[in-house]
Amino acid sequence: MKRILPIFLMILALSGVKAAQATQASEAPVSQPIAEGAPFPDLKLNGNLSADQSAYLGLPAPGKTQRLSKIKAPFVLLEVFSMYCPHCQREAPVINELYNLIAKRGLAGKIKVVGLGAGNSLDEVEIFRVKYDLLFPLFSDPNLTAHQAVGGVGTPYFYLVARDPKTGALTVKLSRLGRMASPERFLDDLVNAAGLSQEDAK
Amino acid sequence: MKHLARAAFLALFLALCAQAAPGSAQDPSFQESIFPVGPLKPVDSVLAVKVGQTAPDFTLPAINGKKVRLSDYRGVKNVVLSFVPAAWTPVCSGQWPGYAIAQNVFDKNDATLIGVTVDNIPTLYSWVKQMGGLWFPVVSDFWPHGAVAQTYGLLRSDGVSERALVLIDKQGIIRYIDVHDINTRPDLGVLVKEMGKLKE
Repeated sequence: MKRILPIFLMILALSGVKAAQATQASEAPVSQPIAEGAPFPDLKLNGNLSADQSAYLGLPAPGKTQRLSKIKAPFVLLEVFSMYCPHCQREAPVINELYNLIAKRGLAGKIKVVGLGAGNSLDEVEIFRVKYDLLFPLFSDPNLTAHQAVGGVGTPYFYLVARDPKTGALTVKLSRLGRMASPERFLDDLVNAAGLSQEDAK
Repeated sequence: MKHLARAAFLALFLALCAQAAPGSAQDPSFQESIFPVGPLKPVDSVLAVKVGQTAPDFTLPAINGKKVRLSDYRGVKNVVLSFVPAAWTPVCSGQWPGYAIAQNVFDKNDATLIGVTVDNIPTLYSWVKQMGGLWFPVVSDFWPHGAVAQTYGLLRSDGVSERALVLIDKQGIIRYIDVHDINTRPDLGVLVKEMGKLKE
């Protein structure tokens, strides 16, 4: 039995490798994701937000340029996507489901959802929003400036970022490449990573 | 003991086979299948058409088995010719999947797209199928090799075409040309604005 154990461990290890290769994402050639626990950059965000979307994020007025740290919530889920990425296209309606689920579980005030269109112009982001009737605010990053700042990651990529209410400092709580297994399971992961409990839901 | 070891190796083999399938066949972004192309000379041809002239007509075979004749769209629809350099290359494999979700934008501007490459039909067929299909016709400028690209002045010295967009109005007149840096993707927003101008 002692001789078998390493073989089974090898099976497990190789299975893990294959599973990672099958991640439903467009991999980026040089990707250096920001690790969980590390500080997250205070991104400059450009988007044509509606008044409702600005209100959702607690931003003072619908301006074109915003700062990530100005979003008035303890946590922001940032999806890095591209309208040209088929995985992101298929993930779009799922994120709408997640957005609704967050509200349903009473966490809308705690976790805000935003998208960052890596390499996408404002027009391209708008085409993507209209196509999938997206409920959450989208920002444009045509020159990949913000994309580089967050590690040049593949898409879709999810960062759950915590914001210190006093200092506005941002910290990564969850850092993950690829499509979610389901909105329910992903929200469970977000709640765990954020250290939120059921009592936080109101 | 030997039996156990054999069983373990069989389990390993089955585990690997089972996981190989979804990654390859069902993955429409198929990034692992894409040939890595390094940076290329941004533009490597001399444009032979200009805005204001009648677009040179052509008839090319499409991947659905039919023929596409440019002049058949005369009086019917505005046309955007999207030349991309080659199937199974990085930027090209991103560009058309984006257009795949933008049919309503073209419809709104009473326009259609025609995708053109110098690849042969079987290659184009497989490539587009891997994308999950496209709503617009994809035609092959394979033989005589790159003849249409050549007529437009979009054939590069290595036999592939430029990454170019040619907007043609319903009268068959070229209204906009973007011979783009082959290494980057044109902003769809710019094309949409150009299509919008045709209404004015």
